[in-house]
Amino acid sequence: MELELEHVTKEFNDFKAVSDVSYTMHNGVYGLLGVNGAGKTTTMRMLCTLLKPSAGRITYDGRDIFEMDGEYRKMLGYLPQDFGYYPDFSVQDYLMYIASIKGLPSALAGKRVKELLGKVGLSKAKNKKMKKLSGGMKRRAGIAQAMLNDPRILILDEPTAGLDPNERIRFRNLISELSEDRMVLLSTHIVSDVEYIAGEILLMKDGEFAHSGTVYELTASIPDRVWNVKAAKTEVDTYMKQYKVANVKTVQEGVELRILSEQIPHPGAIQEEVCLEDVFLYYFGEKAGEEDGVL
Amino acid sequence: MVYYEIKKVFSKTSNKIAVLILIFLLGLVSSSAVHVEYTNEEGNHESGNSAIHKLKEMKKEWAGELTEEKLMRVIEENARIQATPEAQSKDIQQQNIAYNWMQGFEDIRTMFANSYGGFREHDYFVIDYLKPEDAAKFYSNRVESLKEYLYSPEQDIVSHFLSEKEKAFLIKQYEEMETPLKYEDFMGWDESEYNAPMLIMFMCLILGFLVAGIFSNETKLKADSIFFSAYHGRKQAVLAKLVAGLVIVTGFYWLVMLLFSAIVLGILGTEGADCMIQISLGGWKSFYNITFLQRHLLILFGGYIGTLFVILVTMFVSAKTKSAVVSVMVPFILLFVPAFLSGSDSYTLNQILGVLPDQLMQLNKPLKTFNLAEIGGKVTGILNVLFPVYAALSVILCPVVYQVYRRAEVK
Repeated sequence: MELELEHVTKEFNDFKAVSDVSYTMHNGVYGLLGVNGAGKTTTMRMLCTLLKPSAGRITYDGRDIFEMDGEYRKMLGYLPQDFGYYPDFSVQDYLMYIASIKGLPSALAGKRVKELLGKVGLSKAKNKKMKKLSGGMKRRAGIAQAMLNDPRILILDEPTAGLDPNERIRFRNLISELSEDRMVLLSTHIVSDVEYIAGEILLMKDGEFAHSGTVYELTASIPDRVWNVKAAKTEVDTYMKQYKVANVKTVQEGVELRILSEQIPHPGAIQEEVCLEDVFLYYFGEKAGEEDGVL
Repeated sequence: MVYYEIKKVFSKTSNKIAVLILIFLLGLVSSSAVHVEYTNEEGNHESGNSAIHKLKEMKKEWAGELTEEKLMRVIEENARIQATPEAQSKDIQQQNIAYNWMQGFEDIRTMFANSYGGFREHDYFVIDYLKPEDAAKFYSNRVESLKEYLYSPEQDIVSHFLSEKEKAFLIKQYEEMETPLKYEDFMGWDESEYNAPMLIMFMCLILGFLVAGIFSNETKLKADSIFFSAYHGRKQAVLAKLVAGLVIVTGFYWLVMLLFSAIVLGILGTEGADCMIQISLGGWKSFYNITFLQRHLLILFGGYIGTLFVILVTMFVSAKTKSAVVSVMVPFILLFVPAFLSGSDSYTLNQILGVLPDQLMQLNKPLKTFNLAEIGGKVTGILNVLFPVYAALSVILCPVVYQVYRRAEVK
């Protein structure tokens, strides 16, 4: 199984949402990380045949996915960022309907729906109307619909957005469980979502794949080191202007800063291990005072 | 898929309310249609089943072919009643008693008003001035009045705009009507014809409301991403939406109209099915030589084709704009704008209005007017054009709606 993006570009009028992106994916979990507006959703929509690339092509085992048409979509499971559903349908009806448009024979659909309802913990809520479900339950129904056809390609756009920490952990475990023998592409701007489950991480910025690799490769790729600095509250602004600051924690003696820097920022600074969040900050973050700061 | 598409429509509370309104309208229009008044021997009004039965019994006496002899008998009987003290009385109750005697030939009396009143007047009392020997002109008056109308020197009437060929066609149609006409009570057919267009128009609006969201709701609910990325999302699932719309329209239309017909004809009777529509007030001037049964079938099928066309346009707009609000306005525009403009004196505007789909839903209009079409040098009634044209357009619209929707991109 090989899903390949070949010089893919997507333009909306004069705006280039995705710019000349090339990448090849196989079985495994891929995390697509980037700030809002980086082009993650547009890339995913192209991978789901919802948008046609303005240039370049996307192939599955060497065949253009738009030419494969239904044959490609038959292998696809998609959970969009804005997960839309039919509010007056029960969970069971909703899943049965999605199963029907995914081409599952009704006998198999019934079996799959039952199985997935159990897997996502919605068996007891199967007769509840979709509009009555909590945010987390809706997301679980969303992942269930994406899994109905046992897809070889599972695309999840911001699946944990709006979930509480418990739900997010549960969701991560579920995705991890579902990721065997398939390709999962998971987009998020919450770093910890992909840190534990993604084999490969793609960092997307301004419509391009800025960097990619495993968590280890990415953490090793940055020249900066991470430092823990104890400082007075009055010094925070100075540090923020000089360095990329990953975290500011108020403690009894003042503040503890997590700073990215090649050189030791302060004689008393203690070096710490680089994590994916630091990588994210290194590539996407700005120092205080820079335009469009994201942190 | 079709089942779930239909379920999507009827799971919405607003659509459930729309269906309840439709049922209420069916009840309202049907009860209005079967409301018949009978004036009894004491001059009092009666209604209900017994009134219908009594009226029918009185009309039975005059059933059969309207020969010259029978028409003479009507004139004589009318004259006899008019000479009675009850008819001459100033007292309304007494006049009502006299009216009781006339109810049996009331329909024929109306025909006299049509025949002897000319084309542009309707004098209900004309029979009161006729002598039995005048009955000889009863049928020839119809053709003569038409000729007089067609060749009138007045510039502002419809006939002024008709070509010689069209005038000749109308005269031929009039002359081809077989006489003597057969008469039988036709209450059921007449009330159906009068009330059905109103029901069809309202039903079309409600059906438009029901189907307006079939295509647009996927976008509104943000369910389009999953829909279009599914295996059948660009083919069968789109087709299922179209089929669901057609099933809803067809199912509701025929259910409502057949129920309406069953109620009205069941209560008022189906007698007169094989009588020509010319024996009715609205049918006298019609150049369509058809029976009441044929007219009823035309109303039903015309209404269906017209409704189907309007609903398909609604679904097309829904698929194109992805907006239920915009698409729900389509039936209003297609049905009420022509109705609003129909009072115009402009011949050209009326010609345009005469070919719009609402004509098929209000078939009583084109059946009564001289709305003609010329195809390949042959003149024909506009209905012979509207039926195949709108049926063909409806068939063409189906793949258009399908193609428009399946190519949608989700941005």
